[in-house]
Formats: sequence, structure tokens, C-alpha cells
Amino acid sequence: MPLVTPETVKRVLKDAYDYEISDEAAVPVANTAGAMISLAHHLDSLELDELEPPFGFPNLMAGAMRIAAKK
Amino acid sequence: MAHSHDELLSFDVAALGAKLQAREISPVELTEAYLDRIQRTDEKLRAYITVTDDLARKAARKAEHEIVAGKWRGPFHGVPIGLKDLCYTKGIVTTGGSKILSDFKPPHDCTVWTRLARAGAILLGKLNLHEFAYGITSSNPHHGFVHNPYGLDRIPGGSSGGSAAAIVARSAAATIGTDTGGSIRIPAALCGCVGLKPTWSRVSRYGVLPLAYTLDHVGPITRTVRDAALMLNVIAGHDRNDSTSSRERVTDYAQSLDAEISGMKIGIVRELTDNLSADVQQSFTAAAQQLRELGATVDEVSIPSLPLSGIISGIVTWAEATEIHHQWMATRPQDYGDDVRRMLEIGMMIPGSAYVRAQRARTRVLAQATDALNNREVLIAPGAAIPAPKIGESRRFDADGGGVDVLSAILRFTSPFDVTGQPAIAIPTGLSPDGLPLSMQIIGRPFAEATVLQVASAYEKARGEVPAPPPL
Repeated sequence: MPLVTPETVKRVLKDAYDYEISDEAAVPVANTAGAMISLAHHLDSLELDELEPPFGFPNLMAGAMRIAAKK
Repeated sequence: MAHSHDELLSFDVAALGAKLQAREISPVELTEAYLDRIQRTDEKLRAYITVTDDLARKAARKAEHEIVAGKWRGPFHGVPIGLKDLCYTKGIVTTGGSKILSDFKPPHDCTVWTRLARAGAILLGKLNLHEFAYGITSSNPHHGFVHNPYGLDRIPGGSSGGSAAAIVARSAAATIGTDTGGSIRIPAALCGCVGLKPTWSRVSRYGVLPLAYTLDHVGPITRTVRDAALMLNVIAGHDRNDSTSSRERVTDYAQSLDAEISGMKIGIVRELTDNLSADVQQSFTAAAQQLRELGATVDEVSIPSLPLSGIISGIVTWAEATEIHHQWMATRPQDYGDDVRRMLEIGMMIPGSAYVRAQRARTRVLAQATDALNNREVLIAPGAAIPAPKIGESRRFDADGGGVDVLSAILRFTSPFDVTGQPAIAIPTGLSPDGLPLSMQIIGRPFAEATVLQVASAYEKARGEVPAPPPL
């Protein structure tokens, strides 16, 4: 069963953006998104167990301070 | 002494800086030469979206007064440049290559332009690009398809297609591009000029319309390696308006350009040596040999996770770009070009867990790339697997009937180093038998732009001149 179906694409776009796309247009979107979700599993081969996303608190804090400084 | 327009346009930034300082040429005559060049070429190239001719003339007169008064500001004082039309310029329309922002006048300048303007650069205009930088063809449905000066039926690459086309067509002395999956290096490679993607965070992103926050880089596109170093000297450094910009020390990037590379160790990235077209293969092999003749040791090295970086790049870009465009997708979906809207639709389907996993995986790829640089100063790889494709070409077939997807034949060479954030430069290695530019990338350790530029400069001198494009 495909990971993402054209019907799902159409429903999400309708719900999120309130616009409709044709069945034909939904197919490549569903296929590409489904393939990418499937490929994301390949990243497990990189031994991610001890790795966190590289966002970091310093950036969070600096962003907050910049907003505060503008007030 | 009066100069012909052709003579004025022949000088690179380094030469212009010296001649402007010595008052051998005037910013006013130089700016006129560039404006005239734009007028004569841009109908064919579509490199510019907006030409700021009145502002340029005014800035040129101001620069002339200052230089005559002995207030020379540096190598960019009086030098006419162009900015990719993602870069905010206060009061000047900044479209992002879109219909959605076709009337948008930013309330402030981006930091890159603030710094270049302070250095005395003269803005010729805003350069065409792939819509919202989301693609590599620069075939822009709203502002015209950008054409490659080496073959008008070819794409210039993208997304900074106008920035590279203007350099090669000599309708700007230097330009600014942005690079999320290769958008500085791809057009530089396909058009035959120099494109430097600095380390992520080396150059402020403040006031530059984002495509993907954690992958976007801003950098120079120029005729020569020295010009790229001079431009990086102006734009690099921490910016309090961009909390992610680095506080790492900025060095003089032009200082080591004449140093020898004898004794350096250089690694060819094994994962980027397969499925090359014959002309790319031959040119890249010759470039590696040239580096050996300069005294460097060149061997092959593996970054095993590198083939997975396309997945990482795709997921991160799709997810972040869709979030950035969320409001416009809700209100003006019909105003996007079909290709960009489709990418944003795909981004809606990417789960958050896939995004976080892709971000975690970046650390592993950078660790392996850093490992490859143990005992080596830089890595090298082709700029792309093929020369510039024809406009509209999506697959290329070889003599044996095999085919390659044009998009992946280009993106897989550049996107890994956006994922790792390492500095990488694209530099021409010559022309293919049918007269199209070929290119090599030189990749360094994070914040080792000076080393990348040093190797590129040594190679550039040894390589000699690359034939100019046919007259436009």
C-alpha cells in the first residue's frame, strides 16, 4: 500500500490551504512524498542513536534576545 | 585617459579597485559602461529583473567625489555589482523571482548589501533567479527564462542563474548569490565563473528571503578567485541581526592567494566520481593532474554517507520551505509557478519525524566529511556530472542509450556540502568540445575559506584563461 495516496494529498491541501488539485496533479506529489518518507528510513543506517538535531539553545536564546531588544 | 566600454568591462574587481583608487578610471564612466552593456545584452539573457540605473548613476557620482577627495573606501569603492533578487534592498522592489512579491519594497536592506554599500559598491540592479530560489534552472515563468551566455538555448543553472549569467556576460563586475542545494556553485559551474559558498553562518542571512533556514548560504559569484576573496572580506562576519551568524574570526581571505600549494594533500571524493559525462571526466582528471603538477598530493577518499545527503537535503528543504511559504500557499497558491507549487505541496506531506531524523543525520555526514579531511587540506569533486543542459531538458541520453536525470546529475554534487555546511567553491576547468563550461569544486573544513581560496587561486593561475562566450 502506498505511503501517501493522491486522495491524502488532495485532502491535506484542501484542509490546510482550502484549494483543490486534480487527481492527475495529486499523483506525482503523492509518489514523490511517499518515496521520500520511505527513503528517510535509510538514514537509520547512519547510526543516529546518540545524535540530536543540531539546533541548540544558544540560537534559541539569541533569537529571543533579539526580539526583546526590538521592543 | 578615456577608456572604451569594452576595455572598462574587461577589468576584474581586483584591477578595478586599483584603477579606481589611482583615478585612472572614473566610477561614473565605469557605471555607464555597465548600464550600456545591460541594455545591449539583457533582452537575450534576462539576467536582470530590475535595473536601478538612476540610483547607480547617483551612487557613481558620489563615489567619484569621495575618491577624488582622497576618501577611498577599499577595493569595492565605485565597483558596479548586482544582487540576486532575494536580497532585501530598502525601497527597491525585491521580487524573489516571484509574482507574489512583484511589488514588494523591503523596509530595510539585507546585511550583505549594507556591508557592500558601506564598502562603496554601486548597485546596478536585482538579478533574476529561479522563483523563490526553489529550483536549479532559472527558467522563471514570471520574469523570463535566464539564458546561458555560452549557449542561449541552455540553462544557466540556478537558482542564482542571473547572478552567474551577468558575470560571464560582463553585465556586472561581481554579484551575490545564495546556495541551499547548490544555487551558487551550480550556475557558476554551468556558466563558467567562480562561485563561493562560504561556511554556513559565515555570512549573515539577515534580509535575504529564505528557502530553507538551516541550509541557506549567501556568497559571491565572480570572474576570478581573487574577486571572490575580496567580496568575502566585505560580507563575512557576525551580524547581530542574524543570531545564527558566526563569531568565528574573519581573516583577510585575499592574503594567501599567492601562496604555493606544494606539499598540500588533496582528496578526490570517491562518491562523486561515477556517472560523469566523458567531457566532465576528462576535464576533472586534467584538473586533478594540474594540482599534482603544482606539488600537491592528490588521492581518493571516501565519505560513505554522502549518497544519503540527497535525502537529507530534500527532506529538510521540503519541510522548511513549505513552512516559510505557508501563508502564501493558503492565500495565493495560483500565483506560484507549477514546479514551485508542486514542491511546496510535497513539503506538506513530509512528517515532522522525517525532518528531525534528517537533521540528526547531518551530524553524521559532517563527521565523515571532516574525517576525510584528516591529514588533507581540501577535497575536490566535479561541479556537475554534465555541462549545461538545454532549456526544458529533463533527461539526457548517452550514445549507448542510457539516460540520466538532469536534476540529479547536477544536484548530487553540490547539495552534500550544504548539508554539511562546509565552504565550497566552484571554479571553471575549461570548455567541453561543444563549447560549454566545465567546473571543479574545492571543499574545505568549516571556516577554512582561506585554504579553499588558496588552492583555487593556485589552480586558476596554472589553468590559464578560459575562452570567453560567443558575442551576444
